[in-house]
Amino acid sequence: MMTPNDYPAAFTTSRRIYRNKRVLRETLVGWLFVLPALLMYATFVLVPILLTIHYSLYRWNGVGPMTWVGMQNYVSVFQIPNLIGTISNAFWLVVWFSFIPVSLGLIVASVMHRVGTGRFGAIAQTVVFLPQVIALVAAGIIWGWLLALPGLVNQILRLVGLGAISRAWLGDFNWALPSVGVIGIWVLLGFCTVLLSTAMTKIDPAFYESARLDGANWLQEFIAITLPLLRYEIGVCLTVTVVNALAAFDIVYVATAGGPGNATAVPGLQIYILAFTQRSVGLASALAVILMVLVILVILPIQRLNREAAL
Amino acid sequence: MASVTYDSIWKKFGDVVALQDFNIKVEDKEFLVLVGPSGCGKTTALRCLAGLEEPTSGSIMIEDKVVNDIAPKDRDIAMVFQSYALYPHMTVFDNMAFGLKLRHFPKDKIKTRVNEAARIMGIEELLKRKPRELSGGQRQRVAVGRAIVREPKVFLFDEPLSNLDAKLRVQMRTEISKIHNRLATTFIYVTHDQTEAMTMATRIAVMNKGVLLQLDTPQELYDNPKNQFVAGFIGSPAMNFFNGHIRMHENTMFFNSGKFWLKIPPKRREALANLMNKEAVFGIRPENIYNPQFAPQNVLTETVEAKVEVTELMGNEIFLYMKTDGTNFVARVDPRTHFEIGDTAKVAFNMDLFHIFAPSLDPDNPVAIF
Repeated sequence: MMTPNDYPAAFTTSRRIYRNKRVLRETLVGWLFVLPALLMYATFVLVPILLTIHYSLYRWNGVGPMTWVGMQNYVSVFQIPNLIGTISNAFWLVVWFSFIPVSLGLIVASVMHRVGTGRFGAIAQTVVFLPQVIALVAAGIIWGWLLALPGLVNQILRLVGLGAISRAWLGDFNWALPSVGVIGIWVLLGFCTVLLSTAMTKIDPAFYESARLDGANWLQEFIAITLPLLRYEIGVCLTVTVVNALAAFDIVYVATAGGPGNATAVPGLQIYILAFTQRSVGLASALAVILMVLVILVILPIQRLNREAAL
Repeated sequence: MASVTYDSIWKKFGDVVALQDFNIKVEDKEFLVLVGPSGCGKTTALRCLAGLEEPTSGSIMIEDKVVNDIAPKDRDIAMVFQSYALYPHMTVFDNMAFGLKLRHFPKDKIKTRVNEAARIMGIEELLKRKPRELSGGQRQRVAVGRAIVREPKVFLFDEPLSNLDAKLRVQMRTEISKIHNRLATTFIYVTHDQTEAMTMATRIAVMNKGVLLQLDTPQELYDNPKNQFVAGFIGSPAMNFFNGHIRMHENTMFFNSGKFWLKIPPKRREALANLMNKEAVFGIRPENIYNPQFAPQNVLTETVEAKVEVTELMGNEIFLYMKTDGTNFVARVDPRTHFEIGDTAKVAFNMDLFHIFAPSLDPDNPVAIF
């Protein structure tokens, strides 16, 4: 019997050439299919990234000649307290924009899943999701009014006898960042809740019934069943909200514009100010590159966990 | 080990009545099967016992204790779900140990119990795997194993075999029967498959539309169905039914389908007396219809002419799908029978083994006269 290894040499060669040709053709056709999307991606993502890296190595005001400065812009980011401060602010915002909405979202979703079926559930979901539909700029302005000295929040505080702690929340050095954080919670909670409660409806009710027969209470069900089965969706929520926190711009810009002082300055805002008002495109680019690296560093482990959960 | 009593249980979901005055006493160590078509209330009955549903009225007792207000976990029951409900993120061991961990069993005791249950179910080598790495049959075993670990007073099974292929189903059927013998505990098993019910049960409860129609041993259900629904539900192929009337002609009683006349043996006349000239349904099981050539001796038969529509050779027998006077029926005849499709053939009805149902007495649920 002849096995493939016993083919005459010439025959094997011709077969290999034939196969190589076919593989080549398949590869070519594959690239052709990908090309349109790739072109778009390159034009709007890859080229800007490369240009940003390129600019970050120069001193440039955006129009005039560019001066090569090497890594100086990066060194500056870490030396200027205002700039390094924006990065620490960004990480504070991760707590407000990501951890709190995701944890709170889990609680709200599981309460809605347990209690609110039918019309009540639908209304609750709509209300919670509403902030996602409102333009962030509008949300920022509304919250600006609510949190102002004569705003509704302070009025309520005074009404319940807590007038002593009332203040201009967004103008207070200590309270501005948490106040912006609260706006973030309000915006992102809906997203997390809707995503997580949709995922919860896909969990087989028999899991919970079986656990109830086994004697699990609400908390044990939550820890042993809900959390592990929602790992993938929690990962998605974390990814989206962490990116939202680290790359925050619109809410902060409208609510506080980074103030008071630099109390709420975040990298996204600082990049904008550096590039378009101070005309330090090189420094802005360096900060942007650092922000990008930070986002990737934070997101990668979440994504890896996610991939394991999806298996 | 315990008896279970359903005492006048009603369960309503809004306007839908799922259980109507449901009464059963399940004896200790019994294997009771609740069987019926989808939506007949059998699963609701099981879930009420498990505590996953609350009966609208009536009481459920385990041993002599009313359990209506007792939490599911304190009822000392274990349930095997149709979907198995194995936690996908836990290993087989953790799945089986979950209930014991929640009950704060010591670790070594959990291990002994899980290993023992795994040995009974033949899944010792799967303990470290996750459910997704198991075949359907293996998952089924784990699900049963998880119930065994708990050593409950009552085992509940909710259509546990319906996700398995036919061959595996037959195999698991015998395994579950074996486990019942071995554990000597009360089993309550829900299925829509009458074969499962017939092969496993000590007693079967046939249900339809939330009503318990008959509770009997498998043989009794087969031989003496109390109404037309039970007669048609138990047995495969199902019992054949012919609509017609009871008539008297020259001092002889007949069942008249319109086209054919079947002479009713004198000994059964008395029971049918008050059906005279009324509507009746004649029921006969496929194995009681013969090819006249091979009909058993000493059996009273009546001949009926019918058209052969399909023949199915099963090896040891032939299923003849026939039609007469607009009514389809099936006959299980001797394999030596050679009927051609399209032929009009004569078959013999065994007139000792037939049933008469009277729709005129209860139109919704024709009762059996005999």
